[in-house]
Amino acid sequence: MMFLSIRQLMARKKQSLLILLGITIGSAAYVAISGMMLGFQTYILDQLVNNEAHIRISAREEILTAADMASYSEAAHVFWEIPPSGRKDSTRIEYPLGWFKKLDADKDVAAYSPQVVAQVIFTQNKITKVGRIIGSQYERQLKVTNIENYMKSGSFKDIGNSGNRLIMGTSLMELLGTRLQETILVSTGSAQPQMFKIVGTFETGIKTIDEGTAFVSLTDAQKLRNTPSEITDIAVKLFDPHHASIKAGLWKNSSRDKILSWQESSAAVLSVFKTQDIVRNSMTISIILVAGFGIYNILSILVNQKRRDVAILRSMGFSPKDIIKLFFNQGMILGFLGGAIGLILGFVICVIMSRIEVIPGRMSGPGNYMIISFDIIIYIKAFSIAIATAIISSIIPARAGGQLEPMEIIRSGGQ
Amino acid sequence: MIEIKNITKRFPNTPVPVLKGIDLKIEDGDFVSLVGKSGSGKSTLLYIISTLDHPTEGEVIYDSQNLKDFEQEEIYQLRNHNIGFVFQFHYLLAELTAIENILLPARKAKEVEKRRGFAMELIRIVGLEGKEHRFPGELSGGEQQRLAIARALVMEPKYLFADEPTGNLDSVNGKIIMDLFKKFNEEKGTTIIYVTHDIDFAAMARRRINLVDGVLE
Ligand SMILES: Nc1ncnc2c1ncn2[C@@H]1O[C@H](COP(=O)(O)OP(=O)(O)O)[C@@H](O)[C@H]1O
Ligand SMILES: [Mg+2]
Repeated sequence: MMFLSIRQLMARKKQSLLILLGITIGSAAYVAISGMMLGFQTYILDQLVNNEAHIRISAREEILTAADMASYSEAAHVFWEIPPSGRKDSTRIEYPLGWFKKLDADKDVAAYSPQVVAQVIFTQNKITKVGRIIGSQYERQLKVTNIENYMKSGSFKDIGNSGNRLIMGTSLMELLGTRLQETILVSTGSAQPQMFKIVGTFETGIKTIDEGTAFVSLTDAQKLRNTPSEITDIAVKLFDPHHASIKAGLWKNSSRDKILSWQESSAAVLSVFKTQDIVRNSMTISIILVAGFGIYNILSILVNQKRRDVAILRSMGFSPKDIIKLFFNQGMILGFLGGAIGLILGFVICVIMSRIEVIPGRMSGPGNYMIISFDIIIYIKAFSIAIATAIISSIIPARAGGQLEPMEIIRSGGQ
Repeated sequence: MIEIKNITKRFPNTPVPVLKGIDLKIEDGDFVSLVGKSGSGKSTLLYIISTLDHPTEGEVIYDSQNLKDFEQEEIYQLRNHNIGFVFQFHYLLAELTAIENILLPARKAKEVEKRRGFAMELIRIVGLEGKEHRFPGELSGGEQQRLAIARALVMEPKYLFADEPTGNLDSVNGKIIMDLFKKFNEEKGTTIIYVTHDIDFAAMARRRINLVDGVLE
């Protein structure tokens, strides 16, 4: 029946082309928009997942409340004029060795890195800037994050194990007006400020990190805080990042420390992704819906116009199945062709977009080009949507064609 | 041989049956005209004999095989290989050329290449030589009907059924059609049953069946 299907399609070039165009635009738009959004999302997600820990264990910031004060029993005869309130003094993980044992034994944990994270003030000449330092052992830290990939100068290893060497975000360096190999003053506010030498820079593309973070060795950070051998955080990398929130949930049950999966800490960004996905999908659905109705309409009209043809074909011995194929094929041809052309068009648009230079920042990847995803899944999905649309919108009119009774058509003179 | 036994046809919501217990035998190679007043049931009888319609009661038997015992697929095969139809309206497919229209039944039988030579011969016989690549819209009414006859004959069917094949044609073109029928009946032994209003055309048959008020006269 393919032969006849094609002939009937060709006989209505304008109609067929219009529908073809609809499906083509639908699938091309899906590929292009998905490529752009997913490219951006994967890049950001990669940073969220791999720049930071999959799970971060940190010291709980305990806030004193009136209830805490109740622990002083009546017998103690303690009376407060103004009860103490606010944050408890020391923030540290109470029993890190327990965690280390637990993490070493856990089969899902790929690596972990004990850290000291502290709010600090960077000072260079008269310029000061608030930020944070992360102190870690570089061998462990490099196993947990992919920070090395984002190094602009120097190597992450340059922080060493001691010696007050520091690596900072490029934006932070610009803000401070300082340069590589220069020394700056770092202060926690409570302990004595110390001099650190800048031995490297990094750029993740995430503004908050690049503008306010510096890495030092674990020992140097402990000295800076004046709390030797204490740690404030443990960054954990899992073999499968998707398990992070479940794992974090389990750990929460058996610990008083604060445990945060990357999903929780990036909840805001993830919800933006969700919105993007909804926009992307609803756009595609509406385009495809229009194309689907187009196929449905054209085939319904065609089946009606071709009643005489159906009658004569049936009298020649063609079966109802053959008649269904005659019409169904036409929808499928439009779906296949439209889908295929759409994929190619979408791909071309993606290639062009990936060559567009953008202002450095969130939309850009390394090299300041737009990040476009060429994930095969996008193309498979786009094609499947086109085919599914064609199937669904063709089957109903095609079956109506198959059910036409040749005798009734002939009796009515083919009208 | 086609044998019909005690055929009755009643349409829903009509009190009087159109056909009332008809018995008829059509021998292979027969050339039969079916006549009667308008509305007497000629078309109804023709379509029941030719498998397109079903009787309310009675049997239609092809070479001692009852149509009731046929699977649907066997009926389609029977139509494809053994039956040719010519209607009052030509029912050609507008998107296909003359030769492609003729070869449509061969397409169902997957014998397009095998039948192409014969199709070209038919084109010549029905006087459409040189017009095989024209579309139906580019042919006259007489030529269209001759094309439809060529299509009905391309599988060299045993039976040819025609319902007023000359009804839309002038007498000259009608005569050409009837001569073609006669030729195929005589040279190929095709069994032909045709409905007609024309007394002269009816007289060309070897046997004439007259239908009056749903019974054979
Ligand atoms: N589908 C139908 N429903 C009811 N009556 C019908 C139907 N088809 C045909 N008839 C009636 O059956 C009779 C015979 O019709 P037909 O076989 O077409 O006659 P003819 O071909 O001899 O002119 C007519 O009276 C016609 O009105
Ligand atoms: Mg009639």
